[in-house]
Amino acid sequence: MRNKYPVRSGLLLLVLGGAIGYGIGLGIDVLISGTLNYSGSVASAFALLLAVSSFFFGVFGYRGITRGLVWQVLGTLIGGFFVTGIRALMGLDLFGSFFFTEPAWVFGAFSGVISFLFGVGVVSDWMKWARGIDTPEHHEDVPTWEKYLGVSLDHKVIGIQYTVTALVLISVGGLFALIFRTELAASQLQFLTTTFKLFNQTGPQIYNSLMSLHGIIMIVSILLGVSGIMNYVIPLLLGAQDMAFPRMNAFAFWIAVPASVLLLMSLVLGGFDTGWTGYPPLSARAPVGVQMFFLGVISAGWSSILGSLNIIATIVRMRAKGMNAMRMPIFMWASIATSIIALTATQLIGLSFQLVMFQRLFGMGFFDPTKGGNPVLFQHLFWFYSHPAVYVFVLPGLGIISELLPVFVRKPLFGYRWVAMSSLGIALVGFLVWAHHMFTSGMNEYLRVPFMYSTLLVAVPTGVKFFSWVATLWGGKITTPTPMLFVLGAIVVFLLGGLTGPPNATVSTDLHLHDTYFIVGHFHDTIFGGFVFPFFAALYYWYPKATGRRMNEFWGKVHFWMMTPSFLILTFGMMRVGLLGMRRRIVDYDPALGFDLSHLVMTIAGYLIGLSVLIFLINFFRSMKHGEKAEGNVWNSRSPEWQVPSPMPAHNYAVPFEVVGEPYDYGLPGSKYVQFIDAPEHIAHPEVAGHSEMKTH
Amino acid sequence: MRHFVIVGILVVVMSILTYIGLAAIGLMPLAASTQAGPIDWLWNLEVMTISFLFALIVVPMAYSLVVFRRKQGDTTDAEHIEGNTNLEITWTIVPLFMVMVFAYLGAGNLAEIRRVDPQAMVVNVTGLQWAWTFEYPAYGVVANELHVPEGQQVLLQMTSNDVLHSFWVPEFRVKQDLVPGRITELRFTPTVPGSYKVRCAEICGTSHAYMEAPVIVSAQADFDAWMTEQVALAEEAAATPEGRGRALVAANGCVACHSVNGAAGIGPTWFGLFGRQERLTDGSVVTADDAYIHESIKAPQAKIVAGFENQLMPAYNFNDEQITDIISYIKTLK
Amino acid sequence: MIHIQDKKSMLGQGILIFIYLAVLTGLEFFVAISFNSVPLLVVVALVKAALVLYYYMHVYKLNAESPDEDENSYDYKTGTNRLGLWLFLISDSFVFAALMVVRINLLGLTRPHLDQTLGLLVTAVLLVSSFFMNRGETLMHGGDRKGFLTNTMITFGLGLAFLIGVIFVEWPNAISEGVTPSGGPQGAVFFMMTGMHAFHVLTGLIFLLVVLVNGRRGLYDQQNYPVEAVAVYWHFIDVVWIFFYPALYLIGALT
Ligand code: HEA
Ligand code: HEA
Ligand code: CUA
Ligand SMILES: [Cu+2]
Repeated sequence: MRNKYPVRSGLLLLVLGGAIGYGIGLGIDVLISGTLNYSGSVASAFALLLAVSSFFFGVFGYRGITRGLVWQVLGTLIGGFFVTGIRALMGLDLFGSFFFTEPAWVFGAFSGVISFLFGVGVVSDWMKWARGIDTPEHHEDVPTWEKYLGVSLDHKVIGIQYTVTALVLISVGGLFALIFRTELAASQLQFLTTTFKLFNQTGPQIYNSLMSLHGIIMIVSILLGVSGIMNYVIPLLLGAQDMAFPRMNAFAFWIAVPASVLLLMSLVLGGFDTGWTGYPPLSARAPVGVQMFFLGVISAGWSSILGSLNIIATIVRMRAKGMNAMRMPIFMWASIATSIIALTATQLIGLSFQLVMFQRLFGMGFFDPTKGGNPVLFQHLFWFYSHPAVYVFVLPGLGIISELLPVFVRKPLFGYRWVAMSSLGIALVGFLVWAHHMFTSGMNEYLRVPFMYSTLLVAVPTGVKFFSWVATLWGGKITTPTPMLFVLGAIVVFLLGGLTGPPNATVSTDLHLHDTYFIVGHFHDTIFGGFVFPFFAALYYWYPKATGRRMNEFWGKVHFWMMTPSFLILTFGMMRVGLLGMRRRIVDYDPALGFDLSHLVMTIAGYLIGLSVLIFLINFFRSMKHGEKAEGNVWNSRSPEWQVPSPMPAHNYAVPFEVVGEPYDYGLPGSKYVQFIDAPEHIAHPEVAGHSEMKTH
Repeated sequence: MRHFVIVGILVVVMSILTYIGLAAIGLMPLAASTQAGPIDWLWNLEVMTISFLFALIVVPMAYSLVVFRRKQGDTTDAEHIEGNTNLEITWTIVPLFMVMVFAYLGAGNLAEIRRVDPQAMVVNVTGLQWAWTFEYPAYGVVANELHVPEGQQVLLQMTSNDVLHSFWVPEFRVKQDLVPGRITELRFTPTVPGSYKVRCAEICGTSHAYMEAPVIVSAQADFDAWMTEQVALAEEAAATPEGRGRALVAANGCVACHSVNGAAGIGPTWFGLFGRQERLTDGSVVTADDAYIHESIKAPQAKIVAGFENQLMPAYNFNDEQITDIISYIKTLK
Repeated sequence: MIHIQDKKSMLGQGILIFIYLAVLTGLEFFVAISFNSVPLLVVVALVKAALVLYYYMHVYKLNAESPDEDENSYDYKTGTNRLGLWLFLISDSFVFAALMVVRINLLGLTRPHLDQTLGLLVTAVLLVSSFFMNRGETLMHGGDRKGFLTNTMITFGLGLAFLIGVIFVEWPNAISEGVTPSGGPQGAVFFMMTGMHAFHVLTGLIFLLVVLVNGRRGLYDQQNYPVEAVAVYWHFIDVVWIFFYPALYLIGALT
């Protein structure tokens, strides 16, 4: 099944499959609606599905992910036709303007996800177990890049699968952002006009769909990115061979793939104009696309639930000898805090969306006032997850900051215990603040003040982190290679984001700020500072561990110095227009407000960020082959994974290690964090690596 | 020690500069209501705090980056400092105190802007995709513009016909969602005469961006004049069918989608509608006569004009003479 | 409390707990029909849940130190699996808790028109099934495969009976009473809660089936964690019903 030019043939088939799918869809559309609709949903849906699956077919042949995708397509069709058949028996109408009727699409999409999981083969071991057949603990992977396109149980492979998927989603979501930013560059409708038609949507509707999808795709990409880093790093830092439940680990990743496909499907199936928050009654009226969005989020939700379950179990059960709670790398604390949230709260976004889904399908009027339902109840359920979720985004990021700082400052992390506890503090308080998104929602008035108090409390543990970071930097011997640059950028940007939180938390000011671009600015700062910057830092930092090569330092610096200023401009602009009266989620703004220039600047800034990310992507993939070799302890770090040569061998440490000291005792002569049980000779000598490291700047 | 002194000075300078800078830009729009006072006061306090805290973190960072940079060729580690419990406690307690102060001030602030004036003028607000209607129960007037007298507290009793909307006039600062099936209240006291706009702040579908309506604040006398004029208009309108029709159209915000001047809109324009040949989505052609318009109001999805597939108009259940009134109003649009 | 280890007294304990539960359920029902005191009902439910959690699901096993620290030993892995399962149950319980919130928010102190006796009946069925599940597990731990099979078989039968009872008797019955999914909040809540629970019963039945089939092949004669797992899951479903039953049938007044 090998072929010499996988990518080339992949792209070729992508075009072919897309064209064929488009043709089929167009044909079907003509059959049911009788009119030729070139930008119609049906054609586009088929084009999308066939294009994606045939791309991987070209790259990879009919295995792994390709098989999964093909099965998903078939599963969707079969499920759809199954329901259509039932409808035929019940004498209901069979086809709608989106080919299948809504129930058919929902059931089809659902069975599509299940089929994907069977097709890709992540459940086959469980099926064997159910039949009483035992399977080997590990499956050996093929040594080539191909192992990344199929099911693997190796946490390192899964971590990389997560990471790359996250990068693809960031690119897609970002691309969407760039599209609608272009529309916003000036007042009036530029190209998303009312006569513009795509996927059965007019310009403004497309804007709403793109905006909503930008939000949710980016959020999913964060969840995947977080899982990616945690999956790759945690067992290495713990000295474990793998995660506690390798199969569930693989499952958690693979269910995110059909989820992403569903999210894209929602765009072509009429989109949804509700924003990522999907408030009913609007979401109860939106086109069928919103159902794909719900299913996509629910599947992605399961990914993060099972993933976090795995991480908690791993950290609790699989620590190396002598690694007691207060000697864990700080990132472990962050991961635990994150996982506690993801494990529990995620169920509520799933449920709240499921309830809207059922309201649409079976007329169960949970949130329908005409049926005695309560629209505000949805917001409580939704935010009970979606506020804690924002800490799922940042806690690992803050953990990465705390993890990397000491390495580049050559000084212990200041107040380890406090930083560790602050993560838990943030997570736990984070459960008690959700209604600060609902100050204007018409919820019971007396709830507003208590939620203001609880929300403001979160500032305290977060503050502890910031002050400890500053104290860590103070009096260190600081070097600033690319990862460190991103760490520093993260601190500044997240500080901006964090500090713009309390104004939203004090009710009276929030009455002005709510649903304006000020909020948009607030959360782009927090998300970039809390996730995107640390994520990039982590990628630059652990890249050598994964590949045995470094990413290009120069282009790394270009990436940073291009992204940071333009990002600050972008969010500062957002906050400014927001305060002056720019509402969220609008395709067009009143020229009288005089925002045109600000928005133009923001759009340009957005493009620059995009460009910088593009540079990063190129650097990322190019360095795999051409990057400078780096097999030693590149950053002269104390933590175990750097004490063995890169890239990491298949089953991690050949010889187990034992924790004999504090993780971050830089500058304490003769101290060591880990001691290999019987020191293998192949261990790189920190000092040597240290020197070679220093020379590079 | 020297380091701390320098940083301390820099922090102070930086905070002041940041604050002055932000204040100079003029962050908030014109303050045109009593409620804007306390809100801007608290906001200003927050801007100060932000400037200070930002400096407090960023200045030492930048300073360390410059002063504590690793010297060329130095490969040793830095001094081994693990932490300092007193410091940690300090920077837990102090922020805790600060946020509690803010919460306390915030609560008082909220109470202040919600102070009730029993003489408040009541206006019933209805939001619908994508229009506002304002009913003055005291005068029996319905309008698509909100006119309010200066210096008098207004009590909006708001609800929605379809989805969530949100009433927001940036110059008044305050904001409140409109929730179908319940009545939400918002109080504000306009202080600066002028014409503003209410801008729907909760996404409500395709034309959310355009769900705006004029808000005119004027001296009591001008307001009274406008009101008497409205009352007169309402009375004379009530006399003729097309007048009643026009009133109904206004009250139900039909014009939000159907232009009366031929301009393109969410729905087909009403200009010259009556008697027009409409081509439908199924290709057939109908004449817009009484029967057709009647049906299109009662069951909008029954016949859809080509090009308007995606805009689902909600069904309205007017009684028959109301509909004939509306049709007779449409007839006048030529 | 002390954890009795030997098989006989374990079985005895199982019976004792079952009697407690049965009595409490009776009390619950009595309280509801005679003087409808919400706090009392809540307390009873909590006590029942606690009993099941401790004696049938033996949470205490979570911090039972596994004898050898070798990460690859079956004991150690079992400990990890146990933790995993409980984490999953915690996560799952948030769904049911959220459904409770929905119920309280939408229905308050009212309850839908439902057939009381039928409710009590299905509840009893589920309770008894839990009892047999516990027996089956205990016997398997004692190495008695036959006993395990018969008891688990009974559990399966009762579970199936519960499922059928809810879906094919209770639902049509409710609909005939005018409690329909699209009819209003009461129907919506009722069908959502029972539906979500029934779905878990279904998955539970599937696991039971798997364990039965493999048990017959003697797979669990030595290493019987799967039996414990399915038992814990089954009891969890019971715990959920311990709260859903009063929430739907007992608390509040009819409207
Ligand atoms: C990464 C995600 C992230 C993070 C970390 C945060 C952090 C915080 N957020 Fe934010 N928030 C979002 C993501 C995030 N937010 C998103 C996505 C939305 C919009 C959702 C939507 O509607 O689409 C949102 C919206 C949002 C709202 C609703 C606004 C509205 O819609 O009306 C509020 C209101 O209280 C709020 C508050 C806060 C607060 C108080 C914090 C705090 O955690 C910040 C704490 C940090 C600091 C305060 C700085 C450091 C502290 C110190 C230096 C100590 C000293 C400080 C003081 C004494 C103040 N956020
Ligand atoms: C991870 C989270 C994340 C990230 C990274 C971003 C990134 C960006 N966002 Fe964000 N945004 C959100 C999360 C995020 N956003 C959320 C949650 C919302 C709320 C949605 C809602 O209201 O419901 C939102 C809403 C939102 C709005 C408000 C829309 C509205 O209310 O109408 C705007 C407007 O400017 C905006 C702009 C941007 C821009 C310019 C970027 C830029 O940083 C993007 C930069 C570009 C890229 C990162 C892509 C670069 C890659 C390429 C160009 C390569 C392309 C190649 C291939 C595809 C192979 N976003
Ligand atoms: Cu109405 Cu937005
Ligand atoms: Cu929040």
